[in-house]
Amino acid sequence: MSFARPRLALGLTPKLITASRSTALRSTLIAHRSISSSRCSHAEVTDTPGKINDSKTIKSPVGTGSYTAANEPDKYIDPYKDGPGAIDKAVHLFFFTEIIRGMWIVLENFFRPPYTIMYPYEKGPLSPRFRGEHALRRYPSGEERCIACKLCEAICPAQAITIESEPREDGSRKTTKYDIDMTKCIYCGFCQEACPVDAIVETQNQEFSTETREELLYNKEKLLANGDRAEAEIAANLHSDHVYR
Amino acid sequence: MVSIIRYVRNIRRTGIKQWWHQMQYIGDAKAGTHVGTDQFGNRYFENLNPEDELPGRHRWVDFAQHFNNATQVPAEWHSWLSHIRQLPPSEDKVMQNMSPPWKAPWTENLTGTRGAYRPYNTVVPKIRAWQPKVASRGESNP
Repeated sequence: MSFARPRLALGLTPKLITASRSTALRSTLIAHRSISSSRCSHAEVTDTPGKINDSKTIKSPVGTGSYTAANEPDKYIDPYKDGPGAIDKAVHLFFFTEIIRGMWIVLENFFRPPYTIMYPYEKGPLSPRFRGEHALRRYPSGEERCIACKLCEAICPAQAITIESEPREDGSRKTTKYDIDMTKCIYCGFCQEACPVDAIVETQNQEFSTETREELLYNKEKLLANGDRAEAEIAANLHSDHVYR
Repeated sequence: MVSIIRYVRNIRRTGIKQWWHQMQYIGDAKAGTHVGTDQFGNRYFENLNPEDELPGRHRWVDFAQHFNNATQVPAEWHSWLSHIRQLPPSEDKVMQNMSPPWKAPWTENLTGTRGAYRPYNTVVPKIRAWQPKVASRGESNP
């Protein structure tokens, strides 16, 4: 009983004789990557039958819905063509080559500088579109933007926003209650996309963790305070992205 | 051992005192140009040389307080430190023009302290608790 298929065993002998030492080493290290587990990528169509092109009865263009179960596409593909033989597999299995190559990668990275980012002294990159803590913005005059249209409340998929409104003394409709339950919020950003006046935005602040759960039930004053503190950053981010909106 | 050479080189650049200070906080010897200082005294550094610092570690902050956290960085410098803005806020014309005159002072995350945010209702509650009223007992009741 032979473990190697005859065609590949014949092909192995001239390869070992003619191949130089460097290519043999390289093929050992690179080409035979996870031999036992990965699929062979040398699959080719070994024989083209040409049944479909010769047929005169087919009216539709070639290859459009003309395949039947009789001529399945994978029928003439030999997935084991030019693949490793059983001897190759056995050599890599018994000499632990995969384990040794894995340990070599560990040894390489031991001598390299680490990629660890030392938070909070260093931080990873954030997008200007990052969706973090919410804030209510004001106009440059100091007038609050929100007009209580309740589009954000309507679109919020988690139903985390609660709005109540009244006309103010000058007749403009403003919110008297703008609550966001940050424990419900899923930070999808639909509220800032729905807002017609850019009033509710999600700032780039992600460090608003709290000790108690009730501190995450934001009301209007808290949201306006968030906007007042970070207005320069919010406006600069909106400015840098305004050509894409 | 590339990182040991870098480590010794950065100690020679910053000095022993600054190295000891860095080892108490950031835990690594880093040398870079001093980009700016915010209103709280936090100092911001940058080193764009890939031989010295890996990309992603090229901007860092040296906090003024011993008990530091990430929210002590104000919003303008936060966007520089998080690589959102390229220029620091002292040179960023866009961010300077966008800063309104009514901008509130930055406060760090005050959770766990007496200044922590407590939620409250901003409107009159629509549901009132039931106030029990006891009818006075009449004289004629047996």
